[in-house]
Amino acid sequence: MTADAFLFWFLSLVTLASGLSVIFMTNPIYSALSLAMTMIGVAALFVTLDAYFLAGVQLIVYAGAVMVLFVMVLMLFDLKHEVQAFSRGRLTGAIKIASVGILSGLIVGAVTMGLKPAAMAVFAVDGASNPVVVDTTKALSENLFLKNVLGFEILGVMLLVIAVGVVALSRSKGGTHARD
Amino acid sequence: MSTMGSSAFEITINLVKTVLVFLLMVQAVPILVWLERRGSAFIQNRFGPNRVGPLGLIQLLADAVKFLTKEDFVPEKGNKFLFYCAPVFALIPAAVAYLAIPMSVPLVIEPYTFLIQGYEINIGIVFILGISSLAAYTILMAGWGSGSKFSLMGALRASAQIISYELALGLAIVGVILLYGSFNLTDMIQAQIGTLSFKAFGYTVAANWLPNWGIFYQPVGALLFFAATFAESNRLPFDLAEGEAELVAGFHTEYGGFKMLMFFIGEYGHMMIASGLMVTFFFGGYSIWNITPAEVHLWLTETLSVSTTLANILNTTIHFLSYNIKFAVFLWIFIHVRWTLPRFRYDQLMDLGWKTMLPWALGNTIITATVIFITSYFVL
Repeated sequence: MTADAFLFWFLSLVTLASGLSVIFMTNPIYSALSLAMTMIGVAALFVTLDAYFLAGVQLIVYAGAVMVLFVMVLMLFDLKHEVQAFSRGRLTGAIKIASVGILSGLIVGAVTMGLKPAAMAVFAVDGASNPVVVDTTKALSENLFLKNVLGFEILGVMLLVIAVGVVALSRSKGGTHARD
Repeated sequence: MSTMGSSAFEITINLVKTVLVFLLMVQAVPILVWLERRGSAFIQNRFGPNRVGPLGLIQLLADAVKFLTKEDFVPEKGNKFLFYCAPVFALIPAAVAYLAIPMSVPLVIEPYTFLIQGYEINIGIVFILGISSLAAYTILMAGWGSGSKFSLMGALRASAQIISYELALGLAIVGVILLYGSFNLTDMIQAQIGTLSFKAFGYTVAANWLPNWGIFYQPVGALLFFAATFAESNRLPFDLAEGEAELVAGFHTEYGGFKMLMFFIGEYGHMMIASGLMVTFFFGGYSIWNITPAEVHLWLTETLSVSTTLANILNTTIHFLSYNIKFAVFLWIFIHVRWTLPRFRYDQLMDLGWKTMLPWALGNTIITATVIFITSYFVL
């Protein structure tokens, strides 16, 4: 087994195991920490694919900022209360069954699609026509700021709208945590 | 992964380098702790540790033995797994990030070229920022795993501080990245070698008595970066994590013995990364004042007339020393500041981070981008 193959299998194992433990752990803090571990695993897999910049950004944005906030907020909650709120009631039961259905549908779909290479080819990005890019950071920025600048700007405006909306919701009286 | 570990020899060398740099970091900690204690004593007009060994240098060895023989202790209501994980995780990001900093000119021994850094990564700075941002988990894990209110509050404070200052830290070096046009630390050092000269409006401006260091182009960026790294490594005046007066000792209240020592090493590791990056971005990395590595090599082969291989080795050693002298100066500033400035209040800390440093860093980025565009686009 070459070093590359070993790295791939090892990192996939770590990523998949921590991804599974996100849903199997009963303690939300462990779940959040496992999710962070999954992000780190994905970043390491990006490195093995020579996508260094994506790996760095994955680490800084997801593992370093987003997940830290998750963990911080989870530590402030009364976890027993939250567990009760999400393990009782018909509505949560229905949501659980629906999400199990969606997940199994996705798995069946992925397996059947994977068995038919011709069908997969429709969805695959035509990577063959793109030449191999050496300086990925430069290529990425050219893609974002020159070729697809409109979509990028729209995404930025959308994020800004979301940020403003969150501030408005948290400030309004009947927000998520109404103080009557 | 084609560049790293393409043969068994390369894999071995990389592993040896990884272990060596890690040991270098860990071994530097006792010396720094000694400097810190003696330095603080000097500043506060005391003696400091001066009993064990010459000048008290063996004191830290005695301390290490004491740490190792202490009782292994887990709080009753704590989370055992997280409590044990946290100190180990405190060490790893610091060590891994420091590996990416180049410490000397590559050593050429035909037919091999050895890089004097753990590994060369093309996105060096993004990688270092990404890895060291993982340090927030350590603090949260320690705080929550201890099962104590003081630890948890200390951890929340510390991680909020780290996340806030990460923004200012990241933005402060965007100017540097724009200036050198690269994420690669080796490229940045290459750009700073020699005397001060730059192109503006088609003219070449040169000052032969100054080195071509980043500090002359990015003084505001350097100041913001250095201030933000103090907050990132939880050192005074930003050591809200362990405000002794109100939080006992912050997130490591419940830790003792060797586990405590590992947090200590992690903190010093972050100081070392900060000093190493300061040197790399703003003070020319391993390069010597106004002298290029090629000139040093020429002087070694012509004036001292040594063989090429020996000259290569000496050249690498000289630049390694040059790097370490600059590195030590910044570590000394870190220590000196700790015993000079008082601690911020929490709201002052947040105001400084979000309302002062972030706008200044943003302004620095915009001005740098504008100046670079104007001076390179309009040719007089």
